[in-house]
Amino acid sequence: MNRQEFQVEITLMNKPAARDPVGETIQKDLLAKKGYDMVFNVRSGQFLSINLKATDENEAKKIVEKMCNDLRIFNPVTQNLTILKVSKS
Amino acid sequence: MTVKLAVIQFAGSNCDLDTIHVLNNVVDGIEADLVWHNLFKESKYDGVILPGGFAFGDYLRAGIIAAHSPAIDEARVMLDDGRPVIGFCNGFQILTEAQFLPGALLRNDSLKFICKWVNLKVENNTTALSNKMNIRDVLAIPIAHAEGRYYTDNLKELEENNQIVFRYSTENGELTKEANPNGSLENIAGVCNLEQNCVGFMPHPERASEAILSPKRTTHGILFFNSIVEFIKRRIS
Amino acid sequence: MTRVNLNGEEVDVELTKWEFEKVKELLGREPNLTEIGMASVMWSEHCSYKSSRPKLKMFEDAEANYDYVLAGPGQDAGVIDIGDGYCLAFRIESHNHPSAIEPYHGAATGIGGIIRDILCMGVRPIALLDPLRFGSLKDNPHSQWLFKYVVKGIADYGNCTGIPTIGGEVEFDESFESNCLVNVACIGLGSIEDFKHAPSRAYNPGDYVILMGGSTGRDGIHGVTFASRTLTEMSEADRPAVQIGDPFTKKLIIEATLEAVKTGYVRGLKDLGGGGLTCATSELTGDGNTGAKVDLRKVFTREPGMNSYEIMLSESQERMTFIVKPEGLETVLDVFRKFEMNFAVIGRTDDSKILKVFDEKNLVVNIPSKALSESPTFKREEKKPDYLDDLLTQKTPKSSLGLDEIIYRLVASENICSKEWVYRQYDHEVGIRSVVKCGEGDSGVLRIIGTNKFIAASVGVNSKHCFLDPYEGAKGGLVEICGNIIANGAKPMAMVNCCNFGNPEIPESFWYFSQAVEGMNNFCREMRIPIVGGNVSFYNEDDVKKTAIKATPIIMIVGVIEGEDKIITLPFKKAGNDLFLIGETKAELGGSEYHSLIYNLQGGIPPKVNDKKAKATWDFLFDLYENDLVKANHDVNKGGFIITIAEMCFNNNLGAELKLKGCYDENLRDDEFLFSESVGRFIIETDPKDYKIIIKKAEKFGADIKKIGVLIPKPEINIKGLKLKELNLNIKQLKNLYDSTIPNLMEI
Repeated sequence: MNRQEFQVEITLMNKPAARDPVGETIQKDLLAKKGYDMVFNVRSGQFLSINLKATDENEAKKIVEKMCNDLRIFNPVTQNLTILKVSKS
Repeated sequence: MTVKLAVIQFAGSNCDLDTIHVLNNVVDGIEADLVWHNLFKESKYDGVILPGGFAFGDYLRAGIIAAHSPAIDEARVMLDDGRPVIGFCNGFQILTEAQFLPGALLRNDSLKFICKWVNLKVENNTTALSNKMNIRDVLAIPIAHAEGRYYTDNLKELEENNQIVFRYSTENGELTKEANPNGSLENIAGVCNLEQNCVGFMPHPERASEAILSPKRTTHGILFFNSIVEFIKRRIS
Repeated sequence: MTRVNLNGEEVDVELTKWEFEKVKELLGREPNLTEIGMASVMWSEHCSYKSSRPKLKMFEDAEANYDYVLAGPGQDAGVIDIGDGYCLAFRIESHNHPSAIEPYHGAATGIGGIIRDILCMGVRPIALLDPLRFGSLKDNPHSQWLFKYVVKGIADYGNCTGIPTIGGEVEFDESFESNCLVNVACIGLGSIEDFKHAPSRAYNPGDYVILMGGSTGRDGIHGVTFASRTLTEMSEADRPAVQIGDPFTKKLIIEATLEAVKTGYVRGLKDLGGGGLTCATSELTGDGNTGAKVDLRKVFTREPGMNSYEIMLSESQERMTFIVKPEGLETVLDVFRKFEMNFAVIGRTDDSKILKVFDEKNLVVNIPSKALSESPTFKREEKKPDYLDDLLTQKTPKSSLGLDEIIYRLVASENICSKEWVYRQYDHEVGIRSVVKCGEGDSGVLRIIGTNKFIAASVGVNSKHCFLDPYEGAKGGLVEICGNIIANGAKPMAMVNCCNFGNPEIPESFWYFSQAVEGMNNFCREMRIPIVGGNVSFYNEDDVKKTAIKATPIIMIVGVIEGEDKIITLPFKKAGNDLFLIGETKAELGGSEYHSLIYNLQGGIPPKVNDKKAKATWDFLFDLYENDLVKANHDVNKGGFIITIAEMCFNNNLGAELKLKGCYDENLRDDEFLFSESVGRFIIETDPKDYKIIIKKAEKFGADIKKIGVLIPKPEINIKGLKLKELNLNIKQLKNLYDSTIPNLMEI
């Protein structure tokens, strides 16, 4: 099988029901006070861009999911992992 | 003569009371007020200190939200007319985010918060925070921060303009890698603006001004506060 | 979980059948779902101490028997009067279970909770201490993960709130592998006036009830599970079992609360922790002998559509309840406005002695205030485990290692080595009170600015000793923790404890608890140390292996030093000075680091406390301090007396020449003398000219003392007078091993 290079972009964010003090503070203490009062919610998270070799997009995605779970790159108790994009790099 | 200083209390400052204690009870010649950041008015004061802590939780980036506080607009007036505007630790981070000072403070290279005593070598002794010191003095002082790695893409200009005020060093004044606690560029611990009335640095002089708190019973912290007083006196006279 | 019939429907409740009937009896009718939820939270082990309370009653009444105790057990924190108009509040609590699932937020919110408990007493939190337990770090990524993030959680939260973490202890042992322990302690300092302003009671009808701080969300509602229809459509997986800490908001809550208390208009104060609004409102009114009407819709919620059950039981972080005098309402609210804190006036107190909660017009809770605060208790069975007799008779095997090799290994063991990797991450200096800092002494010493008074605090216990004998182990813990602050020159003033044990429904696990409580009780009565608070964490049991953690009754002692010149520190000071070993060394290798590290042996005879000897030693030391005869002091602890000497050599480039002939019972083997962990011992450094007077004083007090050697200006320890051979230890090598263990395990 031919292995190609892929780029997988993921975000780690607190679950919707878990608080995100960072986002809240950016919204309340920075944006709202500087006139951006149309903004009513900000959520923060971590973004990772991962380049890897795999046979196809599906496998690339699976590898990333597995390693994030196995190595506790995110904690499923408080965070969600979202795969934003899988593309050939 | 007594000089009048304001210590700004941002939401999340936590060295504010410590700084006030040292200014009012340890150092001579200063009368200091603790002022809530939304209520600060520059006209009453000869100088202003932004203390250490975690203003707005250091959320997003240390210092960025505080840099948008009304207190910074007031401080800008002082900056422009030459009164001392000083930042310690989080205050330094705020001053760089407000672009009063060049450069930025990144996460420590260890990726950890570090609380320890370090040695600081004086590189410029004409600023508002260092005029009571000698060039090449080595001072004992503690740091306590997670984001203190100084970085600038304009090192040459800083050096040419003599804007590097303090560097981390060994006890003997050598600028080694081991003496650099956080991976700062060229061991830089503190810098000033061109006019030298605005100075920021990462360590905590308020923790180094009383012998009982110092491992070797030194009180080097007092020199920083005395420098502020001297700077104001020279400016007025 | 019990299935009961509630108003014609079958539901599962977290109450026993008997408790459910009791709720019906108290109300005189069928409870509704919200009321059931409130009862099950209030009567949970966590809130009600229903298993432990019958045992804890054994402790003497601290408030009645000690005139300097201002608040004792049952309040949010113990409070003592330390003179000059100042009081100290302190408490220790566990956050074990949340930290095992999410170490970062679990530990962080543990710190958040203990800070609120101290704040409730109207005083400023000034110090944190954290005793921790994990499985061994070596070759164990899970333990490393827990350790790394628990420390980071404590650091990030404590550092941001500006409260220094001044001490703690860590023990690594396989019994904590699936149940780590994260205990958190906080000390508060204030004027006695401040404390009197803020009782945790709503004793005056007509006052306003104000909720201040973070918003109320659906997080942390997990004590009770009902049929899913009572919850929203959100699945369990989406419901975070662990809270997210927000130290920035907490910092503002601290400042806003202290400023509000200073106005004089706050009449009562209570934090929202376990049990949320339910616990806060029923305890405030129950303890204050009042009632209250509360409107749930005034509570600011984070998510839309929260029902009364969820609002009453939410355990969202960073919230406080204030009881405010009517005439001061606006003044107090202005303080909250200044700090831009969310707040809501949610109700008023009255003299009905009934807690009525409305959801708009609907009365959703209608419970006598005292009904829930006085919970039923259980008598648990206790039985000494069968395996103990075998363990206690285990003998030390023969070792092919030389004694020097063993010492080098011991100094590098996880449980003995330097914890600098941990405390460098804690801001231990903020507040400019830290005089004896982390790594400089057996305890943390803080100054009280404006006085010549200092306080010292230490926490811990030896879990390995407690496992073999919980009665003696708990007493030994007290001797050791008191010894820590005594080594720094402080007189023990009061104790709080945090009892970490297995499942109380298992007789063997409950036996450990019962024995430990008895040990603490007897020793504290004998030594006249008031017990001013405690916390119990049961169910630290591995469900898979069916084993409990090693019994860990963590002890915290706070004491006072009168005068800067009376502070004693650990490092050796001057070559030529004498070294004394105080206290008797016995063949007590059971539960020692030596047994466990070298032979992987848990058993043997553990240390036993001689109350009279311990007292004689302390009195003797204080007499020496009074006469300024002690230059350095360190209590003998894990690894035994030789490790203690090594630790004292690390700072000032000094060494020791030890002559041990005649210094110990001739029936002891060399390894027994060197590595025994007999409790109540100290190593002191003194001026040789004072030799005679010291010996004379020891005789007077009946303290055991032996001169064991002198300090030398070379970094080595020479040991003569052992039975086997002379030893020569290189201090640089010892120090290197001592410093590198944890970084080597964690920085890979």
